[in-house]
Amino acid sequence: MKAVGARLPRYDGLAHVTGRTTYVDDVRAPGLLWTKALRSPHHSARIVNIDTSRAEQHPGVRAVITQADVPQNVYGHLEALGVPADEPLLADGEVRYRGQPIAAVAAEDEATAREALELITVEYEEREPLFDIRLAFDPGAPTVHEWGPVFPHFGPHRQRRVRKGDVEGAFDRAHVIVEGVYRPGAIEHVPIEPQTALVVPEADGRLTIYSCTQAMYFSMGVVAQHLQLPLNRLKFVGGTVGGGFGGKVDTASETISALLALKAQRPVKWRWTREEEFLASSTRAPWHIELADAVTEDGWILGRRTLTLHDAGAYTRFSSYGLTKHAFHHAGAYTIPNVHFDGFVVYSNRVPTTAMRGFGVTSVSYAVELHMSRIAEVLGMDPWELRLKNANRIGDVTPNLVRLKDPSTVPVMQAAAERVGVELRPEYRSMSSEPRSGDLLPEHLVGNAGQTNGTEAR
Amino acid sequence: MNLTVNGVETELVSPPLASLLHVLREELGVTSPKAGCQQGGCGACTVLVDGQPRRACLVPLGAVAGAEVVTVEGLGSLDGLSPVQAAFHERYAAQCGFCTSGMMIAAHAYIERGGTGERATILEALGGHVCRCTGYTKIVEAVGAAARGEVAPADVQADFDPQPGEPEILVKGAPA
Repeated sequence: MKAVGARLPRYDGLAHVTGRTTYVDDVRAPGLLWTKALRSPHHSARIVNIDTSRAEQHPGVRAVITQADVPQNVYGHLEALGVPADEPLLADGEVRYRGQPIAAVAAEDEATAREALELITVEYEEREPLFDIRLAFDPGAPTVHEWGPVFPHFGPHRQRRVRKGDVEGAFDRAHVIVEGVYRPGAIEHVPIEPQTALVVPEADGRLTIYSCTQAMYFSMGVVAQHLQLPLNRLKFVGGTVGGGFGGKVDTASETISALLALKAQRPVKWRWTREEEFLASSTRAPWHIELADAVTEDGWILGRRTLTLHDAGAYTRFSSYGLTKHAFHHAGAYTIPNVHFDGFVVYSNRVPTTAMRGFGVTSVSYAVELHMSRIAEVLGMDPWELRLKNANRIGDVTPNLVRLKDPSTVPVMQAAAERVGVELRPEYRSMSSEPRSGDLLPEHLVGNAGQTNGTEAR
Repeated sequence: MNLTVNGVETELVSPPLASLLHVLREELGVTSPKAGCQQGGCGACTVLVDGQPRRACLVPLGAVAGAEVVTVEGLGSLDGLSPVQAAFHERYAAQCGFCTSGMMIAAHAYIERGGTGERATILEALGGHVCRCTGYTKIVEAVGAAARGEVAPADVQADFDPQPGEPEILVKGAPA
């Protein structure tokens, strides 16, 4: 235990305060070319024709690429986990969000690359976009993907399902049913370092890829797959990220830079503008969460029904994973023995959404905590007491059938109450995480610890 | 055109409308000022121009010809941190580090013009500098400490190094 309680210096602190930390943009490469991408001005459109010939002939332009230049254009960030690939690196026939890259240019400087973009002509057939995922299931709603409005690969199901206990019975026995709809919005990560990649083609045929990624091995895999190159042809240099917060888990700039570097046989840098960051980089997902709780008049939550819609944006990326985490945490820090959860990953014509600091969980926690306060209000009960009463205890079983060994809801709530000057009644102040007994073991929780029969959590 | 950058007088070939940020980073290889937004919004490119903090991304070279420019590379060195640098290091004010250069230049200018470390004046001095990691608390604390002289640059390195006879303890005073 040398680190706990010790005041350790940041290993990168001296470099940060002397300006010596090398971010991707600080790496120097002789003969550098600069990249700009042509991005879709439309939220949803069919691409009828792309003509890059004038851009290719523009003085100072060294390479132009479209989907035809990508050895394997369509990829999926979670393909290795069995999530089918669905996202083109460069748009092929369709654009599904405003800002989607269609073509990219490498030129002697940024101004020349920008000029070249103006010389690329794209003929679009605009379509009506879908922005509100609540409308995605309506007949006649705009189509984002031909296979339907949702990600259809949760085992045999189109949705992430959790079934535990007897929800019908819980709602029959309830004194009150408390309903709520919660809609946490999208959040842009806004790292101060914009998305940046530098790719140097080496004489031995390898590519040295300087990346701002938070997920080096993800990025290596994604680039190797697009380029159809073995991993030993790619040397990734990273580890210094100028802020990521999840947004740099996506492989957003390395692959296009690599293709341009191969084509031009020159080092290529792509540094996104702040406008591109806001327009085209992925965000935290917006969600639509409907909760209905079967509650007794003395504040026990007997059961919960949940419908969640997760706005994936135009492509899946990590959405199915985020929704699964969301499903597992949908009872919050509380013990609810009977649950029925349906969650859908819904596509829209927004930018694809991605990882951001506990994604999937933060959204459901937001909904659950607001809902707990709402229940307390409906019952006229102290919101601290409602939470402590239903708080997870040792041996309680979560909706996804994890038996809790060391839950911390009770001590955390007690500490929080003390910090904000809330005086808990003695029985709540002395409460612990030990297994339930006496008044805190009502009939509906008896046997909950072992209650796994007839449940499904897939 | 000429600039004196961190004490070195330099003749430049960039055109007069090139941004000072571009000149520093691309022509001179001075990379502590960062291209965060390139529209004056984030503060990461801030440098001292004749002692005044300026957004290098918005300043055309022609407007500052002959000026004296100081970047973080000119504030101090690894073995001789300036009070602001030492305070940022000691008090964990740099997290990802990308906004740090601009923050430190603004803080340095604040102290040079007599800032004494009251919270409200620090917030004003750092206004327009965006940090997405820290929540600003550590930064404001560090600037306050530097302004009040509650930092001993010479001790920073020694404090963090393993002490003779204490090989098992990484930091002086840490529990074994």
